[in-house]
Amino acid sequence: MDILKVFVVDDNELYAKMSMHHLSLNPDNEVESFKSGKECLDALYKNPDLIFLDYSLPGMSGIEILRKIKATHKEIPVVIVSGQEDVSTAVNLLKEGAYDYIVKDENAKERMWNATNHIRENARLRNELDKLREEVNLKYDFSNIKGNSPSIKKVFKLIEKAALTNITVSITGETGTGKELVAKAIHYNSKFRKKPLVAVNIAAIPHDLLESELFGHEKGAFTGAVNKRIGKFEEANGGTVFLDEIGEMDLQLQAKLLRVLQEKEVTRIGSNQAIKINARVIVATHRTLSEEVKAGRFREDLYYRLLGLPIELPPLRDRENDIVLLTKFFLDEFVKDNKMPKVQISPEAQKKIRSYHWPGNVRELKAVIELAAVLAEDNLIQESDINYNSTNSLENLMMEEMSLKDYTAQIISHFLNKYDQNVVKVAKKLDIGKSTIYRMIKNDEITI
Amino acid sequence: MSEKVYDLSQLEELAGGSQEFVMSMVDTFLEHTPSQLEELKSAFSSGDLSAMGGVAHKIKPNIDLFGVHSLKEEIRLVESLGKEGVNSPDLPSTINKINDVLQLAFQQLTAHKNG
Repeated sequence: MDILKVFVVDDNELYAKMSMHHLSLNPDNEVESFKSGKECLDALYKNPDLIFLDYSLPGMSGIEILRKIKATHKEIPVVIVSGQEDVSTAVNLLKEGAYDYIVKDENAKERMWNATNHIRENARLRNELDKLREEVNLKYDFSNIKGNSPSIKKVFKLIEKAALTNITVSITGETGTGKELVAKAIHYNSKFRKKPLVAVNIAAIPHDLLESELFGHEKGAFTGAVNKRIGKFEEANGGTVFLDEIGEMDLQLQAKLLRVLQEKEVTRIGSNQAIKINARVIVATHRTLSEEVKAGRFREDLYYRLLGLPIELPPLRDRENDIVLLTKFFLDEFVKDNKMPKVQISPEAQKKIRSYHWPGNVRELKAVIELAAVLAEDNLIQESDINYNSTNSLENLMMEEMSLKDYTAQIISHFLNKYDQNVVKVAKKLDIGKSTIYRMIKNDEITI
Repeated sequence: MSEKVYDLSQLEELAGGSQEFVMSMVDTFLEHTPSQLEELKSAFSSGDLSAMGGVAHKIKPNIDLFGVHSLKEEIRLVESLGKEGVNSPDLPSTINKINDVLQLAFQQLTAHKNG
């Protein structure tokens, strides 16, 4: 952003000439002048960075030209230059989107000069912002979701499709499967990517604050509303709202959300003015919403409105070789981030990782691998370095799918260890015969 | 020769020392203002006040830029009378004064350019 392309539209040759001369004193300004609104509109394809528009031009009125410019090139700043000072006209023009209003008097050239410098600075910042956004996009492109299994590849396809349109997306999947990552991948690959992605975790916000969090409130709308607050929907305007844990929303607010989605407008609490919104909506939940509907905890009409394109994230245990691939990926990332030497995994440890059922999914895998990398001696992860801290150990036990006989043996061993190998005590606890235990010990089904 | 009715100091300041720019502005002024003056007079004599106000609005910045101070008030009066559609008894003499002073300015500026 070195050269600033400036259009001067003025039918007064003297003024046009003077403005051009003055603005060209800065060699970084590239100034072009036009005699009429039509000439200027015809040249808009050149994408000027700034337009100085005389208010009284032959043919079309200044406000008409302004509207036409804004209709097709909303982002180009237009500074109105007028022969006379007229406050109400000026206010109207500013409302129509004019950047500034300058009166042709002895200060005009200075103000034009300043406006040019402001716009230049703005353009520079905007450019920088675009560049940073691009970097963020890169960070969240598809390659950030790893996997080769057919089930995750199906998800990639759906993400691509979702990114092409503005369809509402509902993401389901067990905890830790990467729902937020999918929402980010969709947003940063869609046409909404230049505007913000606003994420709200419904479960993390107290119920009575949620409404104002989502839709905003006016100053004094309720006790404690000291200032006006803009809601998440308004904040995301033109971008994406990501509502995580949508299943946790109470019924009353569900009705309000439904209305917002249908009318495409929000009304801040305490206001009676509706504000148009144009945001893509992505929702996620670990619950099965259709079941919530059946149980009467989720509105059926909202369910259908939100369903849109459903993306179901497969649990890690159904992703076959992805476990190995992700293990390597997380391990490499971790040692790189911590400037550690490369760490290997022993075959036994690999087997242990593969045979586990990963109730916490990718998130749990990442945590387990990172802990293992820290615990590992001599840059080798052993079986003993793999530790599961799953919250539901009964479920883990079930996942092993042993025979009832083996389960019985395990349970008895567990209690024998707990009660100092006291067979009498264990038999009493488990309500079985002592002889059963003795027989199993004798047959080497249990080792004590 | 009569006293100068114009004042190029504002233009010269704008030009930042570029005499060439001043001269090109003088050319532009001499090229367009005479026909605008004719338009002003014919709009006035045909009684089209709104057209008269419109032309006055266009001439006004030229008069300001070339420092024709003696017409500063007059051109604004004609502009606003035209805009409001008021046929004031002052109009004929004001139009005459604008004509006389501008004609003199054209002569003097042409002389300035050639001399």
